[in-house]
Amino acid sequence: MIQWFTSLAPRIHRAFIEGDRWRLYLKGLGATLQMTVLALCIGIILGMLVAVIRTAHDQQRLGQHNPILGILNTICQIYTTILRGTPMMVQLLIWAFVIFKSSRNMIMVGTIGLGINSGAYVAEIVRGGLMSVDGGQSEAGRSLGLNYLDTMRFIVIPQAFKNILPSLGNEFITLFKDTSLVQAIGGAELAYYAKTIGGNTFDYMPPLIGIAIMYLAIVVIFTWLQGKLERRLRESDRR
Amino acid sequence: MIDVKNLSKSFGDHLVLDDISEHISPGEKVVVIGPSGSGKSTFLRCLNLLETPTKGTITFEGTVITDPKVKIDKVRQQMGMVFQHFNLFPNMTIRKNITLAPVRTGLMKQDEADEAASQLLQRVDLSDKAEAYPNQLSGGQKQRIAIVRALAMRPKVMLFDEPTSALDPEMVGEVLDVMKELAQEGMTMVVVTHEMGFAREVGSRVLFMDGGHILEQNTPKEFFDRPQNPRTQLFLSKVL
Repeated sequence: MIQWFTSLAPRIHRAFIEGDRWRLYLKGLGATLQMTVLALCIGIILGMLVAVIRTAHDQQRLGQHNPILGILNTICQIYTTILRGTPMMVQLLIWAFVIFKSSRNMIMVGTIGLGINSGAYVAEIVRGGLMSVDGGQSEAGRSLGLNYLDTMRFIVIPQAFKNILPSLGNEFITLFKDTSLVQAIGGAELAYYAKTIGGNTFDYMPPLIGIAIMYLAIVVIFTWLQGKLERRLRESDRR
Repeated sequence: MIDVKNLSKSFGDHLVLDDISEHISPGEKVVVIGPSGSGKSTFLRCLNLLETPTKGTITFEGTVITDPKVKIDKVRQQMGMVFQHFNLFPNMTIRKNITLAPVRTGLMKQDEADEAASQLLQRVDLSDKAEAYPNQLSGGQKQRIAIVRALAMRPKVMLFDEPTSALDPEMVGEVLDVMKELAQEGMTMVVVTHEMGFAREVGSRVLFMDGGHILEQNTPKEFFDRPQNPRTQLFLSKVL
């Protein structure tokens, strides 16, 4: 046991310090964070678009069916069904080896795959948020003569935002952790470097435990920031 | 001013309004009473198309507003509505609640709307609440704000959907006072309410609805003193 602990220091040294390997982790972490942020942006834009189309479709006045909205709504439904109904891993493999099979930039392919997957979840989160706002709010807006878009923009969406913030934070955390799947298609992110270093040094334990701690630390910091922001928003309720 | 012809409304199989025809003239204060589920709120909500009628036409100042081609937002700008649950916007200050619609619809510039809001707030004795948020107000204060928010659009008719039903009893008076004042100024009003005192005092005409029909209508005095329809007599004997 004591022997195991004393052997730990050189193992850690070999995994992180020797040959400036810490630079690789840093590079990987950079790629991971970049993927997360970009994928989240794609996800939020796609998700909002889908959510607004689906909500607008559901809130049409009786007997005034817009055929274009109907088609868009069907496309959105197919999109969410497929993306939520198949494994993230399988989707990434399809993006990398079927759709972009000639691409070399697997970080980019991974970002697109994660972003489009995330959009399907964000769409449901945003839709839930929009529906959570009391119907009387949009009725009041419309009864004053405001049009649909102004009612959404000034009345419904600001109130929905507060309700969806916790779920959106969770989506960010899920997305952040799911970037580690991109190593399976050869994307050089954090997990990829850890695996490579483990293979080169014939010692997987220190690099893998090391990156696990890095992922955990970032999630903990983010959760703390999110809690702070939510408390700030809730305080404005009690004004 | 408002002309309703053969209006029917059903939710699924449930017929809520059955072939109603009615005319509301400028300056009238029409009070609609009746048991719950009688369709009186639905009738009111059809007038500004918050509910889309299943059949029939509604004409407002010569425009057939039930025509799908009519720009309903333009029509609603001339019809104020006050709701049972106030429906103030909790994410904005009272001033913003009042000025949002006039500014966004192009009726007023921001400074004009601010000025109008100040005058309206003064009128309901809530000048000090301009920068407050709705959650800081009592129910009666919220409803008074909701009334002036609708008035800020300078509507030609005001629709009230049970404006005092969600209030604590001691706050009903302050809201009814604002409505009485509005009536004295000559505003055309359609009021769905359970306040029989208000109907008697302010109404120029009382409609009694039940089962999707207008069963009886008369001046308040005749209506309350000599109800004709047996259903009306039964209802009044329970509520008075």
